[in-house]
Amino acid sequence: MAQSHKQKRLSAWSTPLLLIAILLVFTLLVTVLGDKPLARMAAQTLIRVTFVVGLWIFVGNSGVVSFGHAGYMAIGAYCSAWLTLRPQMKGMFLPDLWPFLANAEWHVFPAAVASGLLAAFVALISGAAILRLTGIAASIATFAFLAIVYTIYSSWEGVTGATSSVVGLTRYANQWVTFGWASVTVLAAAWYANSASGLALRASREDEVAADASGINMYRHRLLSLVVSAFFTGVAGALFAHSLGVLNPNSFYLGITFITLAMLVVGGIGSLTGAVTGVLVLSIIIEALVRMERGMTIGETTLALPTGAQEIIIGIIMILVLIIRPAGLTGGRELRLRIGGRGQT
Amino acid sequence: MNAIPQLFFDAMSLGGIYAMAALGIALIFGVMKLVNFAHGEYIAFCVFALIVPSTDAVAVMFLGKAPAFLLIPTLLLIGAAVAVASEFFVFRHMRNATPVAMMISSFALGFVIQNILLVVFSSRPKAVSLWPELNQPVSIAGASIPLLQLIVILSTLIVVVTLAVLLKRTRIGLEMRAAAENFTMARLLGVRANVVITGAFALSGALAAAVALIMVTQTGVADIRMGGQIMLVAFIATVIGGLGSLPGAVAAGFLIGAASVILQGFLPLEARPFRDAFLFTLVIVSLLLRPEGLFAPRSSKPRV
Amino acid sequence: MSKLGVFDVSVRYGKVPALTDVSFTVEEGERMFISGPNGAGKSSLLKAICGAVPTTHGRIEVDGDMLNGRSPEVIARLGLTMVPEGREIFGTLTVEENLRVGTGIRPDKPAVETDIDEVYQSFPILGERRHTNAGALSGGQQQMLAIGRGLMTNPKLMLVDEPSLGLAPNIVDQVYDTLVNLQNDRGLTLIIVEQSSARAARVGGRMVLLRGGSVVGDGDAAKFAESDLLKEAYFGQNKAEDAT
Repeated sequence: MAQSHKQKRLSAWSTPLLLIAILLVFTLLVTVLGDKPLARMAAQTLIRVTFVVGLWIFVGNSGVVSFGHAGYMAIGAYCSAWLTLRPQMKGMFLPDLWPFLANAEWHVFPAAVASGLLAAFVALISGAAILRLTGIAASIATFAFLAIVYTIYSSWEGVTGATSSVVGLTRYANQWVTFGWASVTVLAAAWYANSASGLALRASREDEVAADASGINMYRHRLLSLVVSAFFTGVAGALFAHSLGVLNPNSFYLGITFITLAMLVVGGIGSLTGAVTGVLVLSIIIEALVRMERGMTIGETTLALPTGAQEIIIGIIMILVLIIRPAGLTGGRELRLRIGGRGQT
Repeated sequence: MNAIPQLFFDAMSLGGIYAMAALGIALIFGVMKLVNFAHGEYIAFCVFALIVPSTDAVAVMFLGKAPAFLLIPTLLLIGAAVAVASEFFVFRHMRNATPVAMMISSFALGFVIQNILLVVFSSRPKAVSLWPELNQPVSIAGASIPLLQLIVILSTLIVVVTLAVLLKRTRIGLEMRAAAENFTMARLLGVRANVVITGAFALSGALAAAVALIMVTQTGVADIRMGGQIMLVAFIATVIGGLGSLPGAVAAGFLIGAASVILQGFLPLEARPFRDAFLFTLVIVSLLLRPEGLFAPRSSKPRV
Repeated sequence: MSKLGVFDVSVRYGKVPALTDVSFTVEEGERMFISGPNGAGKSSLLKAICGAVPTTHGRIEVDGDMLNGRSPEVIARLGLTMVPEGREIFGTLTVEENLRVGTGIRPDKPAVETDIDEVYQSFPILGERRHTNAGALSGGQQQMLAIGRGLMTNPKLMLVDEPSLGLAPNIVDQVYDTLVNLQNDRGLTLIIVEQSSARAARVGGRMVLLRGGSVVGDGDAAKFAESDLLKEAYFGQNKAEDAT
């Protein structure tokens, strides 16, 4: 028995390693075969992996759908900009920053960690309030949180530049940097899901009343998962900022909320494998659609999809998946190696 | 000093719009536990139904040219039709899905509708002049207020009363209320699920059309994003009102309208751009104090 | 032809079986009790008959019409009504509105008004409180209302799930008196889930005993009340043997 228990644990740990291997193959293929735009697309995809897997740490374990994670992403993105932009630039474009931030000239890596930490801290405060609610009311409160963050960041002229873009960020987030962070996020997600807190949370997801009766303190576990989750979405925000080099609050509102939720749903909310699968599948579809929106020349004629077609098609895919395969493409199952043979699951 | 009546009319008219939008969402939630994120896009769709499909910056009136007695019922029908169609194509296939799955698919549906509008009309806001004479000020109780505000308040009252009568006095209204409270039991008594749900969507869509008419007359703009903001506020109103409670939705709509007018009036100038942030924070605080909503129906607690 | 036929019916919730190959028939005008310990599948059986839960196997017929796969609202139109466990009255609707919910399926609209008066005659307290919200009624009154609401669909077959649940004994007597009177007046076929076999024996009728999702006994309720079969159903084979 002890042996098979150990095998089970090993087998559970094979999931993140296999997923990282897949991401590695993806990154290598793009680097070797692709051109610059393709490498940029790969970096974007890996940032989305970081974001969606970060989102999954909360949504997948707690079962509460969050519309607010784009807010944590914005917080991370702007934090990294505050810490890494050259002081002269900040003096010009963000004149109201506190002296400590205005003079900061951090290295990008500690800045990314700090961005994650700030997002996690905000999650601790906001989650302490929002997670007192349950079910749909909690989801709508996360939406209200997103609106709060958006309103603040798109109005705070001297600190965020409001609706005008912040420019001049170091574009260091290439496919390898983002691969590194995506891998760390996948490992952290697997660690959290298999921790006592993650297991308790998933048990309570099935039945709130029963879990309450069995003495599981859902609130505390949900808050913990939100904080861990927000850390990685905050980091994803920092990476996003340093991949485009430009920041605008509109990047962190309904559009990204929609796309990332679509990824989670299409892949399957129930599993970590689902989160990664969803990002890869939809990113490939998005890339194809973006190219079609730019236009394809077939013989004499150029065919182009109109702007917006991308969202329409993804929305329809999302609805179809929800109707036909509500548990997503992976059906809530994890990709894992069976270690030790005779493995009957 | 006429600031107080001015504030009062501002609050009532804004609250009226919020109340109508919240009613549309609460109706559907009550009957089928669906949090319909597509509701805001029904509103946007109805606005764009007034103008000729084109990506030009200047809007040419299409349905908007019709006289009011024709325009209003037609637009209400269009709203109802969009809502019923979305039920038929999407939600009817999700009868056994969880409320969360339905909520996410309504979010996706909203995006699809918004982007269809984007493809047809482009993302540039368009100037639309519908009944501009309604924005002329009239003088009441020492305050000079646009005629439209009075009309909004009046039409909110008419809509709420009509809806109340419909729910209270008609067969379908009775079935809707029964289904909203206990769907399975209503079906055991022969209430047809599809009829009730279709009815709820039709009413909800017509409410969205009413909101669309008011918004477009008031702002003079057609923008594909115009549904988002009002929908968020309407949602929050339905949650504060107690999910599924119709009187609660109306009361909370007016409450939020009043709160946002008061914040706008009394916040220091430099804090005004952040009004919505204050508003949503107030909302979260009120949810914390009364998670089941300020006006929750008695039967809304989950039974063990 | 029997009024109701249940043939080899099985019901599962996920992987958990609730009923396994249950069979019995009920004749027109009969009164039948379904009894058995908690978890025996009594409520599942009623829910399967009225279409609230799907069957995984077997068939259910009313007057020879197959019910399987039909929705509850269609089954209600075949003259079958359900008075569920815990009453499930509509608390935010008035008493009279509760009575009217189920009348939508009736073609004989004029008769609805006389039927409502009849319900008020049978249950005067409901008539007195016709415009109050049903949520404000006492447990016994709610049970009366649930029965009255079922009657308003003009049923031929009425399923009543645990009418005595949570009611004081004298109220339970009243409820059963009403049910028996109604049956005699209208020629209803009545199927009642009743956990107390003593109660069933006192009212009189046939009894089907369920245990672990299967039928373990079928016969006169009065005989069951004193037989070992009942103890067996409640306590299992061994305990029943120990007791004798």
